[in-house]
Amino acid sequence: MPNVIVNRVAEFLKRYPPFSFLSNEELEKIASSVEINYLEKGETLFEQGDPPSPHFFILKEGEIHLSENQTTGEEIKEYLDEGDVFGVLALLGKRPYVLNAKISQNSLIYAIPVQVFEEILQSNTRVALYFAAGFASGQVVVRQDLSQGQKARGILKSKSRDNSLLIFSDQSEIRYSEKVLTCNESKTVQEAAQLMVDADVSSIIIVDQAYKPKGIITDKDLRTKVIACALPGNTPVAKVMTSPVITSKKDSGFSDLYLTMIKNRLHHLVLTEDGSDQSAICGIISDHDVLLSMGNSPAVLIHGLLNTLDVKEMRSIRDRAGQMLAYYLENEVSMDFVASVMTEINDLIIQQALKIAENTWAAHYPEVSSVRYCFLALGSEGREEQLLRTDQDNALVYEDVDESLKPVAAEYFLKLGTSVVETLLACGFESCPGEIMASNPKWVQPVSNWENYFSNWILTPTQNALLSASIFFDFRHIGGSSGLAEELSLFIYESVKKKPIFLNFLAQNTLATPPPLGFFKNFVVEKSGEHRDQFDIKARAIRPLVDLGRLLTLSHGVIGVNNTFKRFERLAELEPSYKELFGQAAKAFEILIRMRAIEGMKNGNDGRFIHPESLGKLQRQLLKNTFVPIAELQDIVKVRFQLDHFGK
Amino acid sequence: MTWWPFSKPKPDPQDFVKKYLERNKAQIPGIRTLDQLSFIVLDTETTGLDTKKDSVLSFGAVKIAQKRILINSAVEWYPEMFQALNQSPLIHGMVERSNQISTSTFVKRLLEYFSGDILVGHHLGFDLAMLQKLSAPFGLDQFKNPTLDTMSLAVRLDHGPTVNLNHVQVKNYSLDALCERHQIPLDDRHTAAGDAHLTALLLLKLLKIAAAKGIVSYAQLLR
Repeated sequence: MPNVIVNRVAEFLKRYPPFSFLSNEELEKIASSVEINYLEKGETLFEQGDPPSPHFFILKEGEIHLSENQTTGEEIKEYLDEGDVFGVLALLGKRPYVLNAKISQNSLIYAIPVQVFEEILQSNTRVALYFAAGFASGQVVVRQDLSQGQKARGILKSKSRDNSLLIFSDQSEIRYSEKVLTCNESKTVQEAAQLMVDADVSSIIIVDQAYKPKGIITDKDLRTKVIACALPGNTPVAKVMTSPVITSKKDSGFSDLYLTMIKNRLHHLVLTEDGSDQSAICGIISDHDVLLSMGNSPAVLIHGLLNTLDVKEMRSIRDRAGQMLAYYLENEVSMDFVASVMTEINDLIIQQALKIAENTWAAHYPEVSSVRYCFLALGSEGREEQLLRTDQDNALVYEDVDESLKPVAAEYFLKLGTSVVETLLACGFESCPGEIMASNPKWVQPVSNWENYFSNWILTPTQNALLSASIFFDFRHIGGSSGLAEELSLFIYESVKKKPIFLNFLAQNTLATPPPLGFFKNFVVEKSGEHRDQFDIKARAIRPLVDLGRLLTLSHGVIGVNNTFKRFERLAELEPSYKELFGQAAKAFEILIRMRAIEGMKNGNDGRFIHPESLGKLQRQLLKNTFVPIAELQDIVKVRFQLDHFGK
Repeated sequence: MTWWPFSKPKPDPQDFVKKYLERNKAQIPGIRTLDQLSFIVLDTETTGLDTKKDSVLSFGAVKIAQKRILINSAVEWYPEMFQALNQSPLIHGMVERSNQISTSTFVKRLLEYFSGDILVGHHLGFDLAMLQKLSAPFGLDQFKNPTLDTMSLAVRLDHGPTVNLNHVQVKNYSLDALCERHQIPLDDRHTAAGDAHLTALLLLKLLKIAAAKGIVSYAQLLR
């Protein structure tokens, strides 16, 4: 029976999860059981320790604080605004309230009888998952589990999901051939080639008696190693084959398999029983198999990049990578995979840019063109976290040269660096406002000067030095000689070890941005300027996590882990007692960069500033939940580095 | 004037009317606090404003108990119409609704719904007069529930109990004006149930103001 009043209530509820997941029938049932309560500023809905009411609540309008009584007074834990569901412990745990609900602006509150809702909770898995993921406010007892949250977001997003890219999730399996063409080492290349012709395949695996892979010969090997070198047909296969063979486990997830192929630039990946080349072969994947199973693939893009030094084409490939990224993000492809693929593509663009630079300048500087150098990516690209084409941060380090060659070396490497930066600009990577680029003479220096830079930062940690440290500490070798980068890394960690107080300064810096607890309607937004009323996801959420990850890994003396996600994974191994927290931090980080990338894609910018009201309720709650591990990590840092007693 | 030969014979109260009268004999104690009171907030849509000629098109109401609007008590009824409808085409759509109920069913349901609670409405007197006209043939000469007009309450809260209504700007006390003043969004205005819902929200807010002014008991509220 239609009823204007029930409809009015239902219409409101429908806009907010978990009510948005209800069928019309369920919704009408809930709506008609609602009781509307009006409380004025200063009143209390429930108090800590009160027995649970037979209702839970959703705020219709107004504002409520959830606070906790502490010895030092009341601490506000949560600011509720329109559409927030709270008081759910009565629903889930049937325990006394653990927080006070104080009305801070006159509020209309819908009370929903637990009894009516319980039935729905039993039968509707989406609603149950919503609560399990801790999206409802005030659930400080049920630990907010971000991985559940992430999962829930995927499932709750919409009913009809686009399954076309589910191939990337680890559950699905890629089609691979179990029939592998093999021969033993006694064969000649001519015989092997005949076998390949007969089987109409482009590769053959050389195996021993136990069927373990010893080597591989592909069409390309026959071309480059046999015919081009004019080897006779009776050359033994062992002389031509590529060995050892890169192998993977047959039941690895698709993303693992595919990543192995991309990283090693393989056209064929051999699968074995235990994943090593010490067990029997059980299948083979060719990039043709991969291409068949998807349209616009990273392999295609990478292949395209490897074969071009034309800047326009590089740009168009990077643009296509952007489209692919959008597709991945929308389809909740694992962030680890997405970031790896994008990093691989970005790195490749830099490497090609370096080739262009060398082709242009090396001939003009014969006296220094063989000096070892290393091109470094810094900041987010250095951490393998750059999804969108945000600012470039890069630098160049070269081997120390004789006094006489110094001016010409400086000139040559600056030309190299500048050329790379120009190519990257042409490919759509913005220039760095702070001029931290390999086109700036300050950041194109011989290794001894770099060591001086780092020494100075570590010995006199001024505010500027700490800022530089946070950018330069995440450097990663992209092109040129990796040895130089390793030398520099070792130097830095040795220096830090000698001057551990530096870590305390760095630690203090990680506390500079407290988690946004003073929400305005749940979010700290910028108060003035161009980005007024927007939330700075980079400064307020991503950077604190990056800084914390860097500091803590540095304090453990861990070298070579740059990626924030991986840093937290490593920290979880190093400090098992905080395993859960570091896991949450890694998850939070994943959620944040995904959110930033999606936002940036949507608005065609770097996604740094987010309009809180443009986010769905779920995303807002997910975002709020990511602040929890940040706050906890900051507390740990405060104690561990004794920052309460540390002079400012 | 029972001696007057031309007056219509007054019908005997039917059983359900008797039951209603029985239920409403008990008085609400004057010291009962506002929190403990139960209200029925109602509104009617009618063919016009003449209580003699016009009739009820629809009736909407919702109950309030313990300061909470109980959505499960919300009702929306459309009594059958007898008189020729030559008036407004606006109401045409309404009278064609298929969910009309006979007058006797309507009055039965109405009196059952009007348990012992306080009846509330904006310009309540008019609504009750229209409803009473429908109920008269079944032997009800007057509703027995205590009544509270949100308009008079709002005036009283602003100007005190002794105000002369002639000195009050009535247009400031229309339902629209009051909703606007108390930040109640004007949804579903001009449907009986919609207006009843708005009036109920208004009552919740007015009762808060009343309490702040020291009106805390039933006797003080209905003085």
